[in-house]
Amino acid sequence: MSTPARDMPRREGSFEREPARRVFAGELRECHYQFKDGEDEKSPTFVLLPTGERCNRVFIVGTLTEKTRQGEQNIFYRGRVVDPTGTFFVMAGSYQPEAMQQLAKIETPAFVAVIGKPNLYRKDEASAPMVSVRVESITIVDKDTRDIWVLDAAERTLDRINALRTGDSTDIVKAKEQYPTIDPAVFHRMAYDALAQIKM
Amino acid sequence: MDFSEAAERISRKFSKEGQPADKTKIEGKLKRLVQEFGVQPSEAERSVTNELAKEYNVPLPGAGPGTGKSSGGTEEKKIAEASPGEWVTFEGKVVALSAPASPAIAQSGILADESGAIRFVAWAKANAPAMTEGSWYRIESGVVDEYKGVANLKIHSGTTIKEISEDRTLIPTPIPVADLHPGIGGVRAKVVQEWEASHERMLQSGLLGDETGTIKFVIWKEPGREKLEVGGVYNIFYAQVDEFNGRLSLNLNGATVLQEEGDIPVSGGEAEFTGALVHVAPGSGIIKRCPVEGCNRALSRQNYCPVHEIQPKFVYDLRIKGWLDDGEKTHSILLQRDAVEALTGIDLAAAQEIAENNPLGMDEVFLQMRDKVLGRYVTCKGREIDNRLLVNTCEPKKFESAEHTNLLNRAGGAS
Repeated sequence: MSTPARDMPRREGSFEREPARRVFAGELRECHYQFKDGEDEKSPTFVLLPTGERCNRVFIVGTLTEKTRQGEQNIFYRGRVVDPTGTFFVMAGSYQPEAMQQLAKIETPAFVAVIGKPNLYRKDEASAPMVSVRVESITIVDKDTRDIWVLDAAERTLDRINALRTGDSTDIVKAKEQYPTIDPAVFHRMAYDALAQIKM
Repeated sequence: MDFSEAAERISRKFSKEGQPADKTKIEGKLKRLVQEFGVQPSEAERSVTNELAKEYNVPLPGAGPGTGKSSGGTEEKKIAEASPGEWVTFEGKVVALSAPASPAIAQSGILADESGAIRFVAWAKANAPAMTEGSWYRIESGVVDEYKGVANLKIHSGTTIKEISEDRTLIPTPIPVADLHPGIGGVRAKVVQEWEASHERMLQSGLLGDETGTIKFVIWKEPGREKLEVGGVYNIFYAQVDEFNGRLSLNLNGATVLQEEGDIPVSGGEAEFTGALVHVAPGSGIIKRCPVEGCNRALSRQNYCPVHEIQPKFVYDLRIKGWLDDGEKTHSILLQRDAVEALTGIDLAAAQEIAENNPLGMDEVFLQMRDKVLGRYVTCKGREIDNRLLVNTCEPKKFESAEHTNLLNRAGGAS
């Protein structure tokens, strides 16, 4: 192994990519608070999970059950990705040409892995906020990957609930303020049900 | 362990200065440092001596007989204690001399004492007597300043240099690689990699490592300098630690390098991460490399090497650059050919066949590989350098029913 040092880009040395959170559809659906970290136009946007963690990117694995092509001039694709707890709404538009081509190619139903950015939007002023995931990439995966993801998401969810009970980070404090009516025990139960759906 | 002897030594030094020094108290301090804090006895003695010296406001005794008083208006210091901008008096041994980089410099090298070492430069205009390697000198009224972020002792026309008769042997303690900082440092490390020389004046460069980390090293061509042996373990004293772009490297010209028998573990940079592959970057798949010996750079689509220009006789290679994400942290990874072949099931020959015969060419290889690995859980093992994991092995993670059971138990508990 003799990779010359010069092959390594120095730019990336200090760059920290936002991690992709593991979150069940049943929890992501409950998000209704979104914030920016910093004043800059390019500052990252986060949705706040009810279990008290900021989330700029998600990694989800589930079944793509439906996809529709929409728009005339600006084509975009919408899809529904189902996990044991509910449905993720995903979309890819012409600003994500690669993701859109990937999504366009996949025949439903299929197990898919999606990396994307969650966003809050409202149909109109009066309606409740919805969470959709803007796809960065989507690929077909096997059932094993889906099952590993359920374990991963369950473990991360339980970890977050633990931290929520004992911790006092700014995100945890904010989550308690923003989601006063949500009982984290719901997500605990949800994680158990998701695990129980996998055949032993 | 008996501390009375050391306490006696310290007490005697201070009573000579006319200061009361309670032997039992000193002994207690020594005991505490050694037994509670695991400090080396010699280090404890030094630290207690320093503490008392400060308390009584007397110059440090024990730097050698009859040198308790400083002269020339500058303070006598240990080398490790000096900071830039100070006028200093040192007693130390010239442990290395190097060729002056400019006619304005008469001599340059490294001066060391028990506490550490420092580079020195004697200006030609200073008319200082030439020092010889291996001898001890008392250097009065030198100036410590900073050059390229590293402390440096300047010998100018106001500096006096006296050879002194000393034959203390200096045995510098090696510093763990992870703790090195710019200046002069010594390590006990193994040569774990040798890189192609990137400059004609360079004799050798590569990677040295011990159990705490790895560091780049370089040796420039100079009479008498020899290459290190890959896999060899070396005691390296008085090497220059440079910083460039936030990364450290060891310059071994001027250093004392002694090879030793045996082997040491190098866990430096060894890392293992499990997570999902969340991004496969452009430039992954099949690539062309510059065929010029020692270059090996990736070529552009037009077969252009940034150094050797158009290279129609390129060689093909496989790699995957991407991000591995465990949900908390994202790691930059680089898979080289072997790991790519094992993970994707596409070997170089198959990839080349696709690249040359498919209408999409090299893009098709990228797409096929991406679809095989993106969004998959894998465990990557390798060496982490500059925040990037150079992957040796990359294996798909399997579903573990034991993990499943554990999580069910955890989730089934108090809810």
